[in-house]
Parts: sequence; structure tokens; C-alpha cells
Amino acid sequence: MTYSSTLALGRQTGVSRGANSVSFKVTDKRLGPVSNTIVLIVLACLLGLLYLTQVTKTNAYGYQINGLQQQQSKLQQQHEDLSVASARLQSMDRVASSQAAADMTPTTPAGSVQ
Amino acid sequence: MNQQPSPVTVNPVQRVRLWYAVLLLVFGLFAVRLFYLQIIRHDYYKRAAQSDQLKQYTVPAERGIISAHLGDGSVPIVLNQKLYTLYADPTIVKHPDQDAAKLQPIIGGNVADITTQLQAKDTRYTVLKKKLTADQSKQLRALKLPGIGTEEQDYRTYPQGSLASQLLGFVNDEGSGEYGVEQAMNKQLAGVAGQLKAVTDINGVPLAASPNNISTPPTAGDNLELTLDVGMQADLEKIVKAAQDKNQSKDVSAIVMDVHSGAIKAMANYPTYDPADYQHVSDAGLFQNDSVATPIEPGSITKLFTTAASLQKGAVTPTTTFYDPGSWTIDGAKISDVEEDHSTGQQSVLSTLDKSLNTGATWMLMQLGGGQINAQARNILHDYFVNHFRLGKATGIAQGYEAPGYVAKPAANGAAIDLTYAEMSFGQAYTATALQMISGFSSLVNGGTYYQPYLIDKTTKADGSVVTKQPKALQTGVISKQVSDQMISLLEQNNTNHIHEGFPYLQFGPNYSVGGKTGTAEIADPAGGYYAHKVNGTYMGFVGGDSPQYAIVVYNLEPTKYAGFAGAATGQPVFADIAHMLVNDFGVTPKHP
Repeated sequence: MTYSSTLALGRQTGVSRGANSVSFKVTDKRLGPVSNTIVLIVLACLLGLLYLTQVTKTNAYGYQINGLQQQQSKLQQQHEDLSVASARLQSMDRVASSQAAADMTPTTPAGSVQ
Repeated sequence: MNQQPSPVTVNPVQRVRLWYAVLLLVFGLFAVRLFYLQIIRHDYYKRAAQSDQLKQYTVPAERGIISAHLGDGSVPIVLNQKLYTLYADPTIVKHPDQDAAKLQPIIGGNVADITTQLQAKDTRYTVLKKKLTADQSKQLRALKLPGIGTEEQDYRTYPQGSLASQLLGFVNDEGSGEYGVEQAMNKQLAGVAGQLKAVTDINGVPLAASPNNISTPPTAGDNLELTLDVGMQADLEKIVKAAQDKNQSKDVSAIVMDVHSGAIKAMANYPTYDPADYQHVSDAGLFQNDSVATPIEPGSITKLFTTAASLQKGAVTPTTTFYDPGSWTIDGAKISDVEEDHSTGQQSVLSTLDKSLNTGATWMLMQLGGGQINAQARNILHDYFVNHFRLGKATGIAQGYEAPGYVAKPAANGAAIDLTYAEMSFGQAYTATALQMISGFSSLVNGGTYYQPYLIDKTTKADGSVVTKQPKALQTGVISKQVSDQMISLLEQNNTNHIHEGFPYLQFGPNYSVGGKTGTAEIADPAGGYYAHKVNGTYMGFVGGDSPQYAIVVYNLEPTKYAGFAGAATGQPVFADIAHMLVNDFGVTPKHP
């Protein structure tokens, strides 16, 4: 009795002339229960490994996304700060007290009489 | 010979079976326990795990910015800025005095005060300083002081300082707009916060692989562009402040409106406040935009509405004259003029405006009733005040706390209603805001169209789409074009008369059309009657070329330092300053030669 269907009888040698020859060849090559179990376990492990690889890889993207979002946030903040600085530089008070304004020559309005 | 008792022998098979049974029992216990934990208590532990791993964040939306016109372009007047708050947990701080000495060079203040805050016993959170810059925050974090940290916070920032502060309002610590545009347009400015629900790592970083992650991005608030002209607003604020200083008034307000659209070009009140420092304002009344939130009895500028109604109804013409008896007795009370308490003889519609005769305005009301104040006269005046000039109802402008004012109903009420209406004809016994008055007045001088006053010129949505506000004519034919022209002519003549009566500053030369009317209004005493020595000075007029271009209203409340009548002494000069400013600097179109 064998537990493996991978075993097969080979062709018998030394057959005498005129004798009938019989060939015992197993045509049904099926895995036995132990092999099946091992294969299934290996497949399950491979699938698990694949899943873990993908999950880890995807989660790594999460860190990348997070990093990019932080960078975006930092750039937005810089943009806001620059907008504020630009607006302050153009403020009426600053313009009125600027050297350019001080260098201007007052003129008499042409249209209205005060 | 005694035979030794043989030792108890245990069958090896039995021993193995015993251990086997023990092992089975132990595994059985594990199995039962695991069954309990994983099957029976499954939901409980799932929730517990998720509460640790699944985090839910609200992603705040960027609040919309506010800008205003400057020349042909626009400039931002309200922006957002991320600043930092320095906080401490005094229970963790180990060396308050040493830490305070390290903090002081970065945040300012004095070491003793900071030490006191760091030694607080009754709290685990104390704010040491607000509105620190990113650089300051970085320096503070570098100190690595236990129990002391900084946190980011969004603030509104005002590059033009306190310009238009009461009109703009501010955003409180909870992120809600208070007063002004910020309150009225809070929903549009605030946008919609986003949501992020995600499984996170121990540092709170969302893991991308979770199928339970939910991410809804925030929608930024609308950006608003106001109708204000920043330069005009700045100049108007200077004029208003100068008037308040000169007249030592309780408050001075002024508005400049485009008569052909209802757009507010400038709106100012003084005293005012700095919106960036609103937390330190002790008088909450300073937050109010008095031009829209504080209705008063406007005084004789109301005679323009009474005159227009009378002209429109055909009760009088610009040349109609009448005999002024010096006073009228209505419902047992005497109506007289401020200046004269005796007959002034034959008067006209123009002289009623020029001399600001209360008896003249009352006479016009009588003409509306066929010669006496009656239900017909009251109904007509009420109809014009409320339905034509839209007094007594809010205009709907984008401002918080807009007040509707008050106009008494015309039906007899057993409470001297004829006297009430006689007083209303010359500006007492009803209340209106400066905005309501200028909106009604614009319809008087623009040919008879009432435009809804507005402040928001353009709205830019988060998706980039732009909605430009079109002027909204709420009513045409408020008065006819003919009556409008008559009113313009009367006001121009009134201005000319005033120049000759000793107010040369009202001269604008031949290229410009200028007209207006003074008002000196008594102030109701909550205890009954009117104050003996308190009045408000008001003025309402226009400036333009071939036709009026800008309407101007001035409310000078409770001036204490002036000579003569409050309207002429404290309202009229402010009007003249504003009109000159508009002619000289803001392109009032002169008359065609």
C-alpha cells in the first residue's frame, strides 16, 4: 500500500520472446491528502503574504499622502503669509506715509472750490 | 521474613492518558475563553479596537476673504492667517521662573507675570500668549520646555487696519462672524467643513488601506468683493473722525451711495475699533455699525420726503405759497419752528426747505388731506414713507443687526395720531437709520427708482465661478421723473441760498450740481418728552454733474461743541467735505459744456 500516487511501476525488463507483456501504468495522477494539505497551507501562506505586502504597500502610500498633505499645508501657509505681507505693503496707511507720497507736490483741485 | 510491600506502580499508558486529559482540559479552557472573547464579545471588542484605531477628524474649511475696490482693481481688506497660541499645563511645569525667563525674550511681556501664570494651581491649561508667528512658535518649540507648547489657530487679519471695521465685523474665537458683513454673510464665508474618518497608526497618521476610511474634502467659503472704494472709505473715515473731534459728538456716521445702483461706495462711523484687537474692546456698542443699526428721529431732512409726496400727489407745486402763522395747534399741542415762534408771513415750498419750517412741512401734510390733517393725509404720508421710500423696514443689506426703524401706523389710535403725523412730516416721532434715509433719498434724485442698497459686488465661489451682483430696482415710479427733477432743482436752489447765507464752503463751481438739506433733530427722553439740550445734526444731499451721481447722508449724534443749529453747524460742513472729496478725488462727472 502506498500513500503516494506518484509511485508507478516501471516497465518490466527481461521479457522472453513470445511472452505476453503487461504494463502497469497509473494514469490517475492525483495528490494525496497530505500533499493537498501542504499545498493548501503553502498557498494560504502565499496569499497571506501577498495580502500583507499589498496592505503594507498601500499603507505606505498613506504616509506619502500624509507627507504631501503636510507639504501642501505648509505651502498654503506660506502663500497666506505672503498674501498678508503683500496686502500690508499696499495698505493706505503705509502708502500715505511712504517716501513716494512725501515727495509728491500738492496741487489745487481743478473741479471743486473749497 | 516480612515481605516488603510492593511500590504503587502506575501504568504508563494511564499516565499518558492523564496528561492527555489535562492538556485537553487546558486547550478546552482556552477554546472556551477564545469563543467568549471572539464570538460572544465580538461587537464589544470590535468597537473598543475601532475607537483606538479609527479616528474622525473635522477638516475646517478656509474662510472666504473680503476685498474692496481700489481704483480699477481690488485689494484684500480681510485675509486669513495661521498664528499660534502659547499654552502651558502648570501641573507639568517644573521650573516656572527659569522657563519664564526663557520664554520672555520670544513672547515679550515681563518675566514675573509669565512666572505667575506658570505657577497657577487651579488649572491645567493656561494661555500665555496669542497670535504668535510661525517663527516664534518654532523658537518656542525648540526650547522643549515640559508642559509648554504651541497650537495653531486661524485668525482674520486686516491689512488696512481698522478701515471699515464696523462694516466688516469680526470672527470670534469659535469661528463665527459677529456684526457687519462677517455676521450677515457668515454661512457663505464659512464654507463647509470636510470630514476625515480613517484607521490611523499610533501617531494618528491615516492608513490608506482601510476600507472604512471616509474622506470628504472641505469646501472653502466664498470670497466677497465689496462695493466700497478703499480710498474713498479711508477719506470718509478721516472726515467723520475730524467732525467727531471738532463737535465732540457722541457718534458721527456718514454714507456715500451711488444713486443709480444703490451701491454703497463708503460707509463710516466714529468712534470705531480695531477688529484685530476686538477682545480688548470694553464698549460693545463700538461693534455696531450705527449707519444701519441705530435708527434715530432724523429731523428736517425728512421734509424732503414730505415735499416729494406732496408734489407727487399734486397737493402743492414748487411755486405754491402759503401764509405761515408761526405755529399750528394739532391735537392740543403746538407745532412751531425752531428758529421763529411767530408768523413769518408768506412762505413757499422752497423757503420751507431753506428755512426748514416745521410749520411749512405740517402745512404740506394738511394739503395732502385737502387742507387739514386727517386720515387721508396720514394714509398718503404713511404710504410714501413706508411703501415708496421704504422707511420702517430693513433694507436687507449684508450687515448684522440691521434695524428696521419705526413708523407709526396711520389709523386713529386715540393717542394724538394727527400730532404724530404732523411731527413725522418734519422728521420727529418716527425713526430711521442713515442707510434707510439715503436709500429713499437716492430714489428722490435719480428719477424715481428705489434701488436696494447693497455692499457685496462680487462673489467668487470655491469652484472659481463668479457671481456679479446686479443692481436691484425694488420699485420704479417711487415718484415721477418730473417730481424728481423738481426736487433736484429745489435742493440746488437751497444749496445756492445757503452759500449766500454764509456758508461759502458749499460752493462747487458751475460744473457740478450739488444740493441738500439740513436737519436738527430733537432726541426723545426715555422718561418722556424730549431732552432740552440734546440734539442730533443731520444732512442729506447729492453731488453730480448733469445729474446727481452720489447721495450723501450725515448723522452727527449729540454734538456738544458747535454754534448755531446742529444741522447747519455739524451736518452740513461734513456733507460739504465729503462732496468736495468726491469731486476732487473720485471722479464725479462734471456737467457737459
